[in-house]
Amino acid sequence: MEPEQFQQTFKRIEAEVQKVIVGNQEVIRKVLIAFFSGGHVLLEGVPGLGKTLLVKSLSRALGMSFKRIQFTPDLMPSDIVGTEVLTDADGRREFQFKRGPIFAHVVLADEINRATPKTQSAVLEAMEEKQVTVFGESHILESPFIVLATQNPIELEGTYPLPEAQLDRFFFKLLLVPPAPDELREVLKRTTGVETGNAAKVLPEDGGQLVNEMKQLVRQVLIAPPIEDYVVRLVHATQGDGQNSGVSNATKQYIRFGSSPRGAQAMILGAKGNALADGRVHVSYEDIEKIIYPALRHRIILNFQAEAESVSTDHVIAEVMKQVKRN
Amino acid sequence: MSSSNHRPDGARPEFLVTHLAARLRNYVLWDSLLIFSPPVLAAVFVAISCYRAAWISPLAFLLVAVGLIGVGVLAVILRYRPLVPSVPAAAQLIDGQAESEDRFLTLATLATPTHPANFVARLRQESSRFAERIQFGRDFPYRFKNSFYRSLAISLAAALLFHFLIPVAESVIRPVSVQQQLRLIAAKMAQQRSLKPLAQELQALAAKLDDPKATPEEKQATAEEIEKKIEEQKKKEEQEENRDLLSQAANSLKGTEQQQSSSGDQQKKDQNKGGGGIQSNLPQEGKGEGKQSDGGGSNSKGEQSAQMSNDTKQGKSAQGSPKEKGDEKNQHAQGDAKGEQRDPNQPGKEQTNEKVGKNQGASKEGAGKNQSPEEPPQGAPPAERFYKAGEGKEGIKGAGYVTVQLPEDVVADTKAEGRATKEGKAGTRARPQLPVSNAPLPAHLPNSPTEKQQMPIEYRGIIR
Repeated sequence: MEPEQFQQTFKRIEAEVQKVIVGNQEVIRKVLIAFFSGGHVLLEGVPGLGKTLLVKSLSRALGMSFKRIQFTPDLMPSDIVGTEVLTDADGRREFQFKRGPIFAHVVLADEINRATPKTQSAVLEAMEEKQVTVFGESHILESPFIVLATQNPIELEGTYPLPEAQLDRFFFKLLLVPPAPDELREVLKRTTGVETGNAAKVLPEDGGQLVNEMKQLVRQVLIAPPIEDYVVRLVHATQGDGQNSGVSNATKQYIRFGSSPRGAQAMILGAKGNALADGRVHVSYEDIEKIIYPALRHRIILNFQAEAESVSTDHVIAEVMKQVKRN
Repeated sequence: MSSSNHRPDGARPEFLVTHLAARLRNYVLWDSLLIFSPPVLAAVFVAISCYRAAWISPLAFLLVAVGLIGVGVLAVILRYRPLVPSVPAAAQLIDGQAESEDRFLTLATLATPTHPANFVARLRQESSRFAERIQFGRDFPYRFKNSFYRSLAISLAAALLFHFLIPVAESVIRPVSVQQQLRLIAAKMAQQRSLKPLAQELQALAAKLDDPKATPEEKQATAEEIEKKIEEQKKKEEQEENRDLLSQAANSLKGTEQQQSSSGDQQKKDQNKGGGGIQSNLPQEGKGEGKQSDGGGSNSKGEQSAQMSNDTKQGKSAQGSPKEKGDEKNQHAQGDAKGEQRDPNQPGKEQTNEKVGKNQGASKEGAGKNQSPEEPPQGAPPAERFYKAGEGKEGIKGAGYVTVQLPEDVVADTKAEGRATKEGKAGTRARPQLPVSNAPLPAHLPNSPTEKQQMPIEYRGIIR
């Protein structure tokens, strides 16, 4: 596959999703980048912003299987990964594995923070290993595979906030913002009229193969050593105890835990995907600076002082970027 | 520092980056050289000036010059090395100028064998298109830094300051001797045909001045002789330049004469040591003047001193005239009486008391004859109400005195006369036993007006 083909495909999928979703174009773009980078996305926003619709539209545009799991407190891990059921076939009774909803190309884990940690952790193996293990038997998930989890920043009563280890497995954390007045007008036009827009299928029948090729292409994108070094220094700077990280104590005082190496990986891969989506075969500093927020905002854990002073992770990242200079 | 617009057209974009890096290295080198050259040159100029003024030897000059250049080179290297632009920095500059989104940076820093060839080829192709936007002469011209201008201005100012201060410093550190002046003028005069004989004579005089065997009289005589010749030549000379030279020579010769006369005086003084003189408690204005004053010979200062000694003598005689019969005698008598009163247990007490009574009576009479009712009583310290501004019990602040040291025979006569005066009650004129005058002198200027002179209180009556 050539970079031009990647860019064309990317733009077509993006355009199809944008037919359904009004506004939040950067979110759509980054969801696609995460998808072609092989990552999973945590979508956060108040109810009614089109999180579920976004995921549905994406799966439709990609032409891939889609499953939705509504996370509730009584949801069990077997409800997600599947379970062994006793079957009676030809007089022989045997256990047969019944696949759960995780066996799909695109999985929507809706309101993931409402399930118990036991159920949440069931998704971990699937997200990281692309496989599930039931009764000691591993079952490989189909590729491509992406989990798009949503969570509501309000109504936190009766929720189980995702542990840091699980958060770290999400490639990006994207924030959906309420639509601007013009966008809201367009939303009303599209959803309350006779004709409602639907995303058309972009990829051909063997879309999975094509997606895998596109994912391989992303990894071939060139990145200069000074830019890699810049990423390293940025991630190192978020680690509060990092000495000579180039970040002032005023910034470090809010950080409890800095980004893990997965943060750096997400930045590089995301920047590569962004470069390819722009039709370039190399990563620039601008790519890194566009990707750093969704890649690090859920990986930096702030302390109580930051919470007391209403300091967000985005604010901390902005400060880190100001203080860490390019080479 | 070349500002050519040369760009390797058609060459690989990586070469563009390395070319710019080399160019920037040159810029940094030029910057460093331009910043440090002015101070080094100024310092070398100072060293040359010192060498020309013969303040330092040729070897010292050579060492200083080499050292300065070495320090300059070291400073250039120390400044240059950390500022040498790297290839990534140069690539980023090109990226910024061509708006190529880090293409040159990526291309210049990638280890190409480990990356997909098609991507690298595509990147190179894209970079080549962006490279066309770059013109070194236009986009990366060399500009003089402000630090260079500052360095130049400061160094220039320092060099000029030193240049103008050298003559002053030279005259302070090592004044030119009369002989050297004469030789310099003689060298200038020797270039004029008409002045050549005089130049030779001046050279001869300079040699004579250096000769320790020649007596000061001889030197002075020669100087006076040449001075006359110069004056004659000056009258004959038509060219202004030559006249100036002759004037300079005449001035130098005057200096020579003064030098010789002072040395002559010094010799005389040495010969006449112990024959008298004047010691003054006034501050001396200069070494040469002090010597002249000591000699008391031919110069004006000596005359002034002599005049002062005459005045002092006159003061002595005035002191003796109206009061010496009453006051001084009474003072002596009082002193004796007081001396006797110190030991009242001594025998002959009654006689002493009588004597005291007589003396006191006599002194009262004497005082009554000469003193006006407003005057303070003589022989006793005046009451405080009679003090003027600046006066006190200890005398007048800043009052000056001279001590006259008379020749021994005069001193002997004075002593003899003093004894006679003491012995004979009706002595004619009392002379002080000590050759010391307490006649007042102004603090610094002997010729200052009389009304400004500070006068001891006991002489106030005399002046009135």
